[in-house]
Amino acid sequence: MNKVLIANRGEIAVRIIRACRELGIETVAVYSEADRQALHVRYADEAYLLGPAPSRESYLRDDKIIDIAKRSGAQAIHPGYGFLAERADFAQTCLDEGLIFIGPKPSAISAMGDKAIARATVSKAGVSVVPGTEGEGSLSNDELLKIAGKIGFPLLIKATAGGGGKGMREVQSIDDMPGLINAARREAEASFGDGNVYLEKLVEGARHIEFQILADQFGNVIHLGERECSLQRRHQKLLEETPSPFIGDDQELRQKMGDVAVKAALAVDYVNAGTIEFLVDKEKNFYFLEMNTRLQVEHPITEMVTGVDIVKEQIRISRGRQLSYTQGDIHQNGAALECRINAEDPFNSFLPSTGLISHSILPTGPGIRVDTGVYPGFEITSYYDPLISKLVTWGENRAQTILRMRRALEEYRIVGVRTNIPFHQRMMDSHRFMAGQFDTRFVEERFSMDEDNISKDPNSEIAAVIATLVTHHQYELSAQIVRRGERDTSNWKWVGRWERMSH
Amino acid sequence: MKYITTVNGKEYNIEILDEQHISLGQELLDVDFKSVADQPVFSLIIDGKSYEAYVYPEEESIQVLFRGRSFSITVEDEREKRLKAAGGSTVSENAEFLLRSPMPGLVISLPVSEGQKVKKGEVLLILESMKMQNELKSPRAGILSRVKVKPGDNVEQRQILLSVV
Repeated sequence: MNKVLIANRGEIAVRIIRACRELGIETVAVYSEADRQALHVRYADEAYLLGPAPSRESYLRDDKIIDIAKRSGAQAIHPGYGFLAERADFAQTCLDEGLIFIGPKPSAISAMGDKAIARATVSKAGVSVVPGTEGEGSLSNDELLKIAGKIGFPLLIKATAGGGGKGMREVQSIDDMPGLINAARREAEASFGDGNVYLEKLVEGARHIEFQILADQFGNVIHLGERECSLQRRHQKLLEETPSPFIGDDQELRQKMGDVAVKAALAVDYVNAGTIEFLVDKEKNFYFLEMNTRLQVEHPITEMVTGVDIVKEQIRISRGRQLSYTQGDIHQNGAALECRINAEDPFNSFLPSTGLISHSILPTGPGIRVDTGVYPGFEITSYYDPLISKLVTWGENRAQTILRMRRALEEYRIVGVRTNIPFHQRMMDSHRFMAGQFDTRFVEERFSMDEDNISKDPNSEIAAVIATLVTHHQYELSAQIVRRGERDTSNWKWVGRWERMSH
Repeated sequence: MKYITTVNGKEYNIEILDEQHISLGQELLDVDFKSVADQPVFSLIIDGKSYEAYVYPEEESIQVLFRGRSFSITVEDEREKRLKAAGGSTVSENAEFLLRSPMPGLVISLPVSEGQKVKKGEVLLILESMKMQNELKSPRAGILSRVKVKPGDNVEQRQILLSVV
């Protein structure tokens, strides 16, 4: 393998190009018309146009991507995350066309892709799942209503083809259920082309903790420890950290969960990098939630504490080599935190913000990593996700990492679009966050961006001075424009006098 | 120039003395204020302390993003504040309305002549003050009477200019 096509865009495409370059592998970028100037296109050795900006006409055009791979002589395709990464049919087409798909086998993608089948498969292997509808297959509304009573309320309706909270509904009582089932089916149908749903008990006060696993083609499976991903908004992760403050010093729990994660991967003959997501309740009971059969957005925090380059390891696995590490080689050193910097306005209901990035200063210095695909002069459009960058900090312990993240967020300047940096700054100041006391509902239910007590903020005086000076400068500027004629005359008079005097 | 700056109901009296000095309440402070590289990012060094903030003008106020917080701020100069006070007072529809000068200044023009009908909101007099021309408007409909000034007159604060009956 000496040439890899990256079927993705943005920061993850750049991340993969970096791994390839360090391994001496040539890279092929693909891009949409909106991304001609994107960083992944500029960094890659070769670049080919896919089509217009909308994803379905560009980054989802599997036929064109396969064609470009063959034309450019790439032997492998790395799908990144999103787009084609979890499409079993695409992985299969790659194999059929004699290309290496840098990811799991198509059978593992489909086994884990259908959430109901995934639950059945791992529970057969002895992994506990959140109580809910057992078995596979489509259930009718009547069947779901019957089972709902046994599971108990509150519960969740989830799309079997689901992800990202789409087609998901929370149900408090049986009376609300028929309407909510139909709403979930409609949303799932619209998002995934599949209206099938299943039920799951709602675990209250739950934490979302996931384990990174690596598996080679020789049956070696290891885990790289956990990532705490409980801080979410509308089922979208906003920041992730490792180690989880909830697991903390409980090595026994960590080991137990890691072993179960490995077991779940083995249940589907998993190869390459993947992530097992667990829900953990207050009593430290943990349940398999789902498996993400791809590289995760938040993989850098694991790289920071373990020193493993996950993307390089993915390529190594795809080349048919053994893992570079055994479980005994893996240790968590210090702590790492990732803030997803999104182009959205936290003071305006997190509405997406688009525009040209006119100015940017990235935080640097000790313990900082920034993965990004944008730069000043690049435009954030509404065609793709709002992720501008991933700001990652490492520290000797959690407290050091948080202090470093505060410092990094304060340094970060982006002009041209609104960002959620203030959200992260507020989170770093939150006592509950500092104490590690939060669950998956924390952001939506207990965290507010309201500025109710802002006049008591000691910074309000400085803010007032800044606003006043800006206003004053604007007045001065407009007054100057009005008075220009007057000043010109006097200047000419002055010049005239000076000339007379010097003659 | 004197400003009254309000952050969520809390007022600050800020006077810009010159390029390097302001007074904040009773305090006299050294300032050095710069826009960073032509961006909406501003750098303020005040009595040796250095700060940076994003400043976004909005319709009625200014948003200052500073240290992870969003401050919605209104800045009024004294002139605006007095204008508001002059125009905003409740006016009886029957009693004679006396227009007093909200600040010292120079009468530029009187668009309406004595005895003419005026509508509510119609400009009665243009007064120049602090290098700015200010329109003084009628708070109610009526007839312009008792015009005490003419263009070119210098007037004092609170001086009666004209009335509407």
